[in-house]
Amino acid sequence: MNENKILFNTGSFDGISEEIGKLTSNVEESRLKLTPDNADSGLAKLVLTLVELIRKLVEKQAMRRVDGGSLTDDEIERLGETLMKLDLKMEELKKHFNLTDRDLNINLGPLGDLM
Amino acid sequence: MEKMIYSILSVKSNKEKLNDLLVNIKGITGAGLYQLSFDEITVVVSDMSRASLIIGKSTVIEYAGVIETLSQQFTLLPMRFGSLMESNEAIIHMLEKNYPDIQQNILKVENKHEFGLKVFCDSGKLMTELRVKSEADGKTPTKPDIEIKNSIFRDWVNQKLKEHRQEVLLVTYVDSVIGEIAEQLDQLKAISKIKKMVTPTTIVDGVFLLDKALKDELIHAVGELQAKYPTLNFIMTGPWPPYNFTNFTIK
Repeated sequence: MNENKILFNTGSFDGISEEIGKLTSNVEESRLKLTPDNADSGLAKLVLTLVELIRKLVEKQAMRRVDGGSLTDDEIERLGETLMKLDLKMEELKKHFNLTDRDLNINLGPLGDLM
Repeated sequence: MEKMIYSILSVKSNKEKLNDLLVNIKGITGAGLYQLSFDEITVVVSDMSRASLIIGKSTVIEYAGVIETLSQQFTLLPMRFGSLMESNEAIIHMLEKNYPDIQQNILKVENKHEFGLKVFCDSGKLMTELRVKSEADGKTPTKPDIEIKNSIFRDWVNQKLKEHRQEVLLVTYVDSVIGEIAEQLDQLKAISKIKKMVTPTTIVDGVFLLDKALKDELIHAVGELQAKYPTLNFIMTGPWPPYNFTNFTIK
């Protein structure tokens, strides 16, 4: 970014460049790059991204309910066991397909990151 | 040879002024620029073979540079990089067919500029501050609600619950910052698009369309916000061509 386009800033220009750089690199790294050569791993990434999104939504909703105090001790115990097993299974799948958390956060262009 | 379109402009009676400007600037790869018009609408184009178009950072910067120069003197709708059409006739036909939509968009951005506002934070420091404040206010329990028995599942839930509460605190805080920004912008009658929590350190990423004459008021308003939130870093940029406020699909 051109320095004379900055109208207000209390930090340093280098600091801004670094932050903007992070935003740009996030976009580049998190694009889903499907090609004929990587169709298998690309598909695995896409499927696991959707699974991870749903898992996180379920986890968030569960925490809202725990925080709301509407669950019994036994229900919390069972919920913890289920969510923890889902979390571990997800880690296993990521390892199997050589994927990291960042890989599963696809950039949706103008809509931003998926998660 | 195809035609690369840079911008759609509202030139009205200033065609000569535009001609004078185009003589002094070059398009991408040094191509000469010229104008094509339909009624009150003009497009700035250069000849460009599709095969010779190299898509890279420097070409995109050159393209944006042309739009930037034009926007300093004319109200315009910036085109997306790589907007190519087959011939001058095709462009004029496109202008004729989309005339009402183009006019409507030009009217929306007339005498206005786009400005950007990003709010950065040190996420670790901010979270600590929010947690301490919330605990002091008695809004967040210092210990989880769930009684910790000898169970890894409960430990796991407690950890997730703690993370959930921190996230709620952060989102509530960011919403309050955005509320303050929106209030200031409403006073300036700005049109805004704001995204929150783009990254852990970029908590607000917004663009505003604002009357050119109100630039100094906007800077002042951002200064007041910065004074109110000293732990955050407000960065305002501009003026930009209205990249985020041009909305029409070519028929």
